[in-house]
Amino acid sequence: MVFYITYIIVAIALFGFIALFTLFAVYSERKIAGFVQDRLGPMETGKYGSLQTLADILKLIQKEFITPSAADSILFSVAPVVIFAAVFLGFVVMPWAPGIAPAALHLGLFYGLAIVSVDAIGLLMAGWGSNNKFSLLGSMRAVAQIISYEIPAGIALIAAVMIAQTLDMQEITRQQGIMVEDERILFLGLWDVSHIGGILAWNIFQAPHLLLAYVIFFIASLAECNRAPFDIPEAESELVGGFHTEYGGLRFAFIFLAEYAMMFLVAMIGVTVFLGGWNTPLPNIGTVKLADWTTGLAWGIFWTLIKTLLVVGLQMWIRWTLPRLRADQLMALCWKVLTPLAFLCMALSGIWRVWVIVGG
Amino acid sequence: METLVFYGFAAMAIGSAILLVSMRNIARALFLFFIVLFSVAGLYVFALADFIAITQLLIYVGGVLVLLLFAFMLSNKELLNQLQRGVSHFFAMPVWQALLIAVSFLAILIHTAIQVGADEPAWITASKTAGTTIQPGDNTVQHIGVQVMTQYLLPFEVVSILLMMALIGAAHLTRKEETP
Repeated sequence: MVFYITYIIVAIALFGFIALFTLFAVYSERKIAGFVQDRLGPMETGKYGSLQTLADILKLIQKEFITPSAADSILFSVAPVVIFAAVFLGFVVMPWAPGIAPAALHLGLFYGLAIVSVDAIGLLMAGWGSNNKFSLLGSMRAVAQIISYEIPAGIALIAAVMIAQTLDMQEITRQQGIMVEDERILFLGLWDVSHIGGILAWNIFQAPHLLLAYVIFFIASLAECNRAPFDIPEAESELVGGFHTEYGGLRFAFIFLAEYAMMFLVAMIGVTVFLGGWNTPLPNIGTVKLADWTTGLAWGIFWTLIKTLLVVGLQMWIRWTLPRLRADQLMALCWKVLTPLAFLCMALSGIWRVWVIVGG
Repeated sequence: METLVFYGFAAMAIGSAILLVSMRNIARALFLFFIVLFSVAGLYVFALADFIAITQLLIYVGGVLVLLLFAFMLSNKELLNQLQRGVSHFFAMPVWQALLIAVSFLAILIHTAIQVGADEPAWITASKTAGTTIQPGDNTVQHIGVQVMTQYLLPFEVVSILLMMALIGAAHLTRKEETP
């Protein structure tokens, strides 16, 4: 019975973490936006506006549940839960530190990709349930975009999986640092760094074409969480608020939470598969065993958080720097540029695995 | 506890499937279909077919169901109204073909149940004694990968060529006709 209580505690802890992350991410997003646009951002509530998002969430919680009279009431109220649950379930397989993951499935990465695609159903539910043309158009655009960009994202991940030879997220991470057991790690396919570790052992440096694969995955992941420059589903100037136009109060808070949780999730998948996960970026140099010193439970969580937050920061930076793409440009980028490049990466991975890692 | 979860999934699958076919509102029925698919994926996990379960989620929920929803949302409203009027009560028999399929499927199920009977088939007993059954912690995807690339290579290639033909056909159909 203790078993099940642990599960529940882990789930609550993860939820707490996501909520806390969202609070800080919204604050930092507004501050970054302010910095990029040469203004101050929130300054009134608390020191440097640090209590602004707390005040925002208090306001959202107090609000009344308003269901538009023409809306499909069941679909309208279930949709935010489905959207959030899909993203939340994705966190089940994420590794945080050596041996620390809510569930270390053999099919971890595959499960993550599959469960995130349930998100699309929630978006369509919200769009149809609202009975509003802006919501419907927004959700249609969102789903068309998510479905298309899943293909380059998935194939870029397959390219990395072909190098790692496993779908288990813990195993993929272990193969990118000094805790590797039965595999040898080659830096650029030439230099055995199994005992040196650090940044040299990360997947993007084990096989150079995985750097390209990571860039493809990163671009596709921006589209999957509907962030600028791919934010046509919620383009304010065209669609009011996209699929969440009719939502308010706690339901809107859940959609918002799902969006930020999704940002963190895709950043974390990218970090785990390509950037070494909980492995340290510091290599062993001779007798200075930097990698040995900075590997462990607390260090693992620290590195995972730092790397993921850096990637999230990059997502925010891009959002406030680049203009929005047009719908046809978005599809052209996906199908004519990213998908062929991802296929190229996959083919290179096969060659790399057979000729360089095994044969070399 | 596991049994409880199993029956929970089973009840959810059957209950929402019955609700689905009796529902008039097509949009809601499609979203109920999502629950059916999800709970059937849960049942696959109990059969130790985790790969199939996740593939079901990825292909059916992420692909086919979204396609169905798109088709529904983009189709003519008049056409849908006619569909939504449909039959008046649950046990009505609008088409005899459906009855034929349902009865023959039930017959197959009963036939299998009788054939297996009280004792399990010999090949299951044999693999149990040989210890070649799949355990809950096994890496099933590796088994599948090795089998597909060795024993089932020809069917795998045939299926992939079939899928490629379908893809080329789809691309050809969506192409704009060049008017001379």
